[in-house]
Amino acid sequence: MAQRDSQESHYLSTFAAFEQNGPSASPDWLKALRKQAIANFERDGFPTARRGNELWKYTDVRSLASHAFTLSKGNGHEAIDFAPYDLPCPRVHQLVFVDGHYAADLSTEPPSQAEHQAETIGHRSEGLIVGRLSEAIQERLPLVEQYLSQQAGAGAFAALNTAFVEDGALVYIPDGVAVHEPIYLLFITTGHASVVTHPRVLIIAGADSKATVIQGYESLTADAEPYFTNAVTEIVTRPGAVLRHYKLQREARNAYHVAATHATVGRDSMFASVSLDLGGGLVRNDISITLAEVGASVKLDGLYLGDGKRHIDNHTFVDHAVPGTSSDEVYKGILTDASHGVFVGRVLVRHDAQHTVAHQVNKNLVLSDDAEVDSQPMLEIFADDVQCTHGAAIGRLDPNAVFYLNSRGLDTREAQELLVHGFVSEILSAIVDDAVRQYTDDAVLTKLG
Amino acid sequence: MLEITDLHAEVAGVEILKGINLRVDAGEVHAIMGPNGSGKSTLANVIAGNPSYRVTAGTMEFEGEDLATMAPEERARRGVFLSFQHPVEIPGLRMDHFIRAGYNAVMKSRDEDQLDPLKFDRLIRAKAKVVEMDATLTKRAVNEGFSGGEKKRNEILQMAVLEPKLRILDEIDSGLDVDALRSVSASVNELMGPDKATLLVTHYERLLTYIVPNQIHILMDGRIVASGGKELAREIEAKGYDWLAEQQSA
Ligand SMILES: Nc1ncnc2c1ncn2[C@@H]1O[C@H](COP(=O)(O)OP(=O)(O)OP(=O)(O)O)[C@@H](O)[C@H]1O
Ligand SMILES: [Mg+2]
Repeated sequence: MAQRDSQESHYLSTFAAFEQNGPSASPDWLKALRKQAIANFERDGFPTARRGNELWKYTDVRSLASHAFTLSKGNGHEAIDFAPYDLPCPRVHQLVFVDGHYAADLSTEPPSQAEHQAETIGHRSEGLIVGRLSEAIQERLPLVEQYLSQQAGAGAFAALNTAFVEDGALVYIPDGVAVHEPIYLLFITTGHASVVTHPRVLIIAGADSKATVIQGYESLTADAEPYFTNAVTEIVTRPGAVLRHYKLQREARNAYHVAATHATVGRDSMFASVSLDLGGGLVRNDISITLAEVGASVKLDGLYLGDGKRHIDNHTFVDHAVPGTSSDEVYKGILTDASHGVFVGRVLVRHDAQHTVAHQVNKNLVLSDDAEVDSQPMLEIFADDVQCTHGAAIGRLDPNAVFYLNSRGLDTREAQELLVHGFVSEILSAIVDDAVRQYTDDAVLTKLG
Repeated sequence: MLEITDLHAEVAGVEILKGINLRVDAGEVHAIMGPNGSGKSTLANVIAGNPSYRVTAGTMEFEGEDLATMAPEERARRGVFLSFQHPVEIPGLRMDHFIRAGYNAVMKSRDEDQLDPLKFDRLIRAKAKVVEMDATLTKRAVNEGFSGGEKKRNEILQMAVLEPKLRILDEIDSGLDVDALRSVSASVNELMGPDKATLLVTHYERLLTYIVPNQIHILMDGRIVASGGKELAREIEAKGYDWLAEQQSA
């Protein structure tokens, strides 16, 4: 008990200092929101299976909780070679944060937008906004108060993020606007110190709008000091919107990465999410989708690559709240060495959600004796006129397939490589934007070696 | 080219091949017939080096060299090819990518030129034409959703690309319609040569009217119980295998 107290009290005292020195100019609603959040965190404490928390039974956060991570001061960042993070396309809306602080020198607007930049970034709600959350807050943009923390309520980690919310990204796509350039939100951790960051992203896709958002989490050094990324993303898509959301997580081997993504999908709107976990030491992703209106659909794809002692836990939740919605989910994992993969996919079809279509698959390739997978699909269907399937597979490479390739002249290493590439290609091809896919393909294939 | 002496092999601890003797010379076509489960595919797989099967006794020589100690890819690089009875489906791996990788691995082992995707595309299109296969199939995942006949033709396409010396064709005729049978047989004949040899596994005499064997062997319960000319196939077609079994035990 005593230890538990000290674990949470570190954040409580950090919060006290943060409240004092930090975001002094915050509006009252935000101050109140933070206060409530820290109170919730204090009440709930870090989740542990020990305390009967089913949602955390596969992931032990005690080592995370025992670290006294500190907020980065943010007095400028070192020179960063940006080449490894560059998307291979000439035009991109790019916001970069280093150790949780906005990096103006690395952030760009596509050329066509440049002349509007002063006006648009975080200032106007009629135009496209790809801007800093802190600016939007300062500007008293009603959007922020309206949507911030509307979805990311429960849970100690989300509460911590909200308590320390200060900066992050606001993406607002006006009704009827198709944004052709990718919107790239990049969170880099330098890894020189044991910092905690609480990246916060709010995305509002207007009616009949269209956009692609990439969220990257990167570390400057593979052998960084332990650090903690505690991200929360809230997404709202209005009727007819098409929003593609790609997350590429390549944190350091020692990093703790906890990320919650919430999306509420509107009438006839399509939300597509691809989540790629290539890094991190202890990783927990929660994706929670509410199909809130008729015709809403979601496509959820995920790939997690575990090596070393990585622990990668993906929890997804799809709520078919109304009739006539659909979800299609494919998560795949490749686990080697002594890594541990977790997939828990809950699909809820509510009582009156007739004509729901829901498909879910989780497949895992386990390539070593010490690697481990827990896969738990959970279909909860309360409507009767539905079309739902799910499946889970955990296995090794098919020896018949390996021999087939051997018999055509490929040695076993080459055969395995081709088969592994084949296994991941289904997920990679879910990324429809060529430039982004080229970037993510490279990232994944480099990681696969 | 291939010389098998008193070959014994087991799978999952059960002996399947119980002393096979077989010699196939360059320029020859040999057919192997036999009832279901007699060990035909086992023999084919053992020659190709499938690690699921264990050779427990006997020898296999290919061009005078011991096959049994070679890895399957090594056998392929030297010119052994198996057309599978049941080719595996590999979702996510494109057929042309796969066979280019195989082709290049073979070429590399021989210090010959490897082909870039563009040049290989030209090659595979030409070969697809030879075996009368729809080239768009090569852009799809390996065998995924292929019909039975398409899978067989795809095996022949791979053979056409790799140009092996020893072609082991395991039931290349099963699942083929009459026209496909004729066309696949024509490809097999066309790709034959005096420096090549064919081992044909089949249940049906008809295939042997298209691809005419020098010799037919009857495999029963892991042994070759009879060898002969095409009259043997006709006899089997008429009488089945039982009389051979009786003759054996008599
Ligand atoms: N992996 C395996 N595990 C267990 N038994 C096997 C395995 N592979 C083959 N067998 C057994 O070995 C025997 C011979 O099989 P094989 O496939 O060689 O027969 P076949 O002559 O090719 O038959 P068919 O005409 O039906 O193709 C069969 O009894 C089969 O069940
Ligand atoms: Mg067989």
